[in-house]
Amino acid sequence: MTRYVMVADLERCVGCQTCTAACKHTNATAPGVQWRRVLDMEVGEYPDVRRAFVPVGCMHCADPPCMHVCPTTATGQRADGLVTIDYDICIGCSYCAVACPYQARYKVDRPAQAYAEGRMRNETNREDPGRQGVAQKCTFCIERIDYGQAHGLTPGIDPEATPACVNACIASALQFGDIEDPESNVSQLLATHKHFRMHEELGTEPGFYYLWEDQ
Amino acid sequence: MSAPAEKTVRKVPTYCYQCVAGPDLLTVKVVDGVATEVEPNFTAAEVTPSAGKVCVKAFGLVQKMYNPNRILTPMKRTNPKKGVDQDPGFVPISWDEALDAIAERLKTVQARGANDESGYPRIAASFGGGGTPTYYMGTLPAFLASIGPIDFGFGSGQGVKCYHSEHLYGELWHRAFTVAPDTPNTEFMLSFGYNVEASGGVCGVKRHADARARGAKRVQIEPHLSVTGACSAEWVPIRPKTDAAFMFGLLHVMLHEQRNRLDIPFLKHRTTSPYLVAPNGFFLRDPATRKPLVYDLSGQRAVPFDTPGIDPALEGSFKVSGLEIGADDDVWEHRLEKVQPAFQKLIDHTAEYTPLWAGRICDVPHKVIRRLALEFLDHARVGETVEVEGRELPYRPVSIALGKTVNNGWGGFDCCWARTLMACLVGALEVPGGTLGTTVRLNRPATDRNLSVKAHPDGFMDYPMNPTDKAGWLAKPDVRNANRTLIPLVANSPWSQALGPTHLAWMQQQKAPEHWPQATPPDIWFVYRTNPAISFWDTRQITEVMARFPFTVCFAMTADETNHFADILLPDATDLEGLQLIRVGGTKFIEQFWDYQGFALRQPVAEAQGDARDFTWIATELARRSGVLDKYVKAVNRGAAGVPLKGENYDFSLADDEPPSVEQVWDATCRAASAEITDGAEDQGLDWYREHGFRLAPFPRLKWYLYAAIEDAGLRFELPYQERLMRIGKQLGRRLHEHGISWWDEQLEEYDPLPEYKNYPEMWEKALERNFNVDIRDYPFWAVTARSMQYAWGGNAGIQMIREVAENIGGHGGVVINSGKAAELGLADGDLVEIRSPLNATRGRVVTRQGIRPDTLLMIGQFEHWATPFAKDLELPSLNKLVPMLLDLTDSTGSGSDLARVSISRVEKAP
Repeated sequence: MTRYVMVADLERCVGCQTCTAACKHTNATAPGVQWRRVLDMEVGEYPDVRRAFVPVGCMHCADPPCMHVCPTTATGQRADGLVTIDYDICIGCSYCAVACPYQARYKVDRPAQAYAEGRMRNETNREDPGRQGVAQKCTFCIERIDYGQAHGLTPGIDPEATPACVNACIASALQFGDIEDPESNVSQLLATHKHFRMHEELGTEPGFYYLWEDQ
Repeated sequence: MSAPAEKTVRKVPTYCYQCVAGPDLLTVKVVDGVATEVEPNFTAAEVTPSAGKVCVKAFGLVQKMYNPNRILTPMKRTNPKKGVDQDPGFVPISWDEALDAIAERLKTVQARGANDESGYPRIAASFGGGGTPTYYMGTLPAFLASIGPIDFGFGSGQGVKCYHSEHLYGELWHRAFTVAPDTPNTEFMLSFGYNVEASGGVCGVKRHADARARGAKRVQIEPHLSVTGACSAEWVPIRPKTDAAFMFGLLHVMLHEQRNRLDIPFLKHRTTSPYLVAPNGFFLRDPATRKPLVYDLSGQRAVPFDTPGIDPALEGSFKVSGLEIGADDDVWEHRLEKVQPAFQKLIDHTAEYTPLWAGRICDVPHKVIRRLALEFLDHARVGETVEVEGRELPYRPVSIALGKTVNNGWGGFDCCWARTLMACLVGALEVPGGTLGTTVRLNRPATDRNLSVKAHPDGFMDYPMNPTDKAGWLAKPDVRNANRTLIPLVANSPWSQALGPTHLAWMQQQKAPEHWPQATPPDIWFVYRTNPAISFWDTRQITEVMARFPFTVCFAMTADETNHFADILLPDATDLEGLQLIRVGGTKFIEQFWDYQGFALRQPVAEAQGDARDFTWIATELARRSGVLDKYVKAVNRGAAGVPLKGENYDFSLADDEPPSVEQVWDATCRAASAEITDGAEDQGLDWYREHGFRLAPFPRLKWYLYAAIEDAGLRFELPYQERLMRIGKQLGRRLHEHGISWWDEQLEEYDPLPEYKNYPEMWEKALERNFNVDIRDYPFWAVTARSMQYAWGGNAGIQMIREVAENIGGHGGVVINSGKAAELGLADGDLVEIRSPLNATRGRVVTRQGIRPDTLLMIGQFEHWATPFAKDLELPSLNKLVPMLLDLTDSTGSGSDLARVSISRVEKAP
């Protein structure tokens, strides 16, 4: 069995948003849509205050609330853990966006246009009408994973098979891999660091782990 | 991953050098001739310190290229009136008309002489971004060299936005135009506002993330909790502009409570600590050789510092004879006079700077200061060594880094001195794990700081000071900021003019200081990749001055606040559209420490938009039309485009009787680069670089550490006692006074051999009260700024995607204020407030955070655009508008600080 997960090392993340930008490039998301983004959080009161940067996005939950509420079965789940959306089936009802505890879903009704003065060539070049009016979210760069598997590459290790946000992360804070493989990069990180998942109490079993210190 | 069959997909290697922390390599995915995605250059992962990655700014380049607000044809101004409120009336013109107009102007101006009636160059040029425009301007340097002289002294932020004091003192003491921790090896870092996670680029971020992962501890000392503070083990919220007191407190603990833990051999033999100081404050010297004397404990007598086999005293008082040589060769002869080693002077000097004293000034518990001094010593590993490429070097994994404002303006000297001295106390300067320089910009050669280690007769490194002796002093400034006249330390390299005091050039346009002629505006002003109407201080005064410049040529991306005053706009090919080969690797700011060096190519990833032209084509055409083509090509051949085209074993020189094409220039440059890197064995040309993107050769890691070169030359670091600075300061004072000039007297006071702490916050307060006739109590907050990784140096305030992702980071939304203080004032997030300094006011939305001192307001980045499309609608405040240009707040290096006293008042409640 394989289950792909993302690991974010909070000791490494600097909140630079390079992953956010790389995701926007790779997935041609519209202005305001951030399948991957990094939160800037403060804890405590002056002067005893800490600040942390927390990458978020679709958690590719093992028990995804978004899938359960989908009336059309557009949201599905693959054997390798990836939560998917079939844009052809999705009716854009947004139940999933409401159900997602991680605010990871978006819906865009119009073609991307960053500037009021006109659409740019890169925007028209990458226009995907199939993604308008339907739910969208982080796919873990599913095309890269599938490409990698088809070509004997290892997701999370070989760049061509690895999500763009992980490839771009300048602090090596984001890692990706198969948690079912005890030798994988992510399994090794989880074995050697304290970690948590977001809103674990909800029982969604997110496929996104946060490291926060060595064990 | 496969694209639809009908689409053509290419991956084009190039580089990003938008900020001073670059260059970094990348690839651009191009689909059907349209640039779509920026990606890391995975083939460079193993050979670059950035692992082949680029930061968020590079992802803005696609929008920069296709931005619908771009200026895509040359334009000329039709409204002769210039002003913020004047519509320039730009209309499109042909390249021929634009270039001919510029060339005609150049010829007319040059016919009247290179310098004007005030002796200043008739042509001026301003470039931004710490030298980065050079990596985008193709052969423009060759054109400028062929029409010179040029006044590069109109600053666009230098002196207040850079590591200014560090530039000058860093180069003096350890060939460090900027200073960095040896992050891969250090264990403990004290960071005084060094915002490396925002301004250190990919290399900085990666190195520090790796350091945290292996357990290194960094303590961030600054008024607000920056992104770097967030990534640090501890945040110490210090009162603004009191960093020097904090460092003096650290010094006191080390020198008065823990002296036995210092690196005594290093102090004795690698610093000037044992040099004897004579009664007038200058070194006591051997009458025969004029060498400084030390007191040899084994021989119980004073001997020249370089006498073999001695054990020089660091402490005590000794009765000895010798010569003392002061300013202008004043000589005193001393017989059995009581003298002390410089180190003893230092001990006495720091006696009063206790942690208790410092804590009260800094508003930091004194126990914190003492604890950090002890932690620093705990980690210093005095006595340990490590082998680097077969050579044994001291291993001292403790480092200290300074940020901007800490090392700008008054107090900058104290901070740079204290930081460098603390490294010396434990032998941690220029050794593995310690505090390192990155590169040189004032010393020569620029390509290798190790080769700039040249001996001064007094046993430390020589330095190319601007002369202050009677014969050599430049009494009449040769550029409008008078750098060589006023700033001995700024030297006279190609970078020196831009280091200023650059605000003096602007200030002199308004009113010349006493005994100097009224400065003239340049007849022609070239501007590229900078927007001083936004990025300098007192931006209102700057715009008033530039409105009076008669002929301004701006290379323009979009309309902006500076090219609003232009007469001609030229649309150059942008980052992803132009062609250029640059040097990469070695060691360079901010934390670019490579194991390789070589060359990288920037190339058009897709067709340039509109009628934007490659910079090299523009430069060549300007040279041809101005009648200086032969000089221009000769300059290219000499290496003005980055690589000399002729070497010992090769010659790719271009013919100087006809204009070379862009491709000819860079093909020859590529071939020369290949030949240079292979000693003439290979000569791959442009096509090879287009395909591969870069070419590297190993760079010895030993060169990261200047200690080896210092040791090889038998030299010492010139610390703690600044005898040489005292001498040049006294000489400078005499020269100025001989010419009746007394307006630089306060700056002259800074030439202390051992800096005395001054009340820097009060210095600001008094200067503002004096100059603006205000009661400073009406301005109860300190206003500070901080860099933003998304924006810094990028010139990208008009890029939508950058704005979008920057908003994820707290503080980019407006004026950051402490949550408790905001509640006390009845302010809430989103309220529109006016921030008023004695000079001017700015407006922004309230952002409440816990991570900022209650007496401090923060405005990140540089905004309040009023002409730049997209940016002008952002409703963001600007500290720059609030900071006055005042001589009172200018230090002896010509630097000021990003600091203002302000009030805050609500304009309207949050919607």
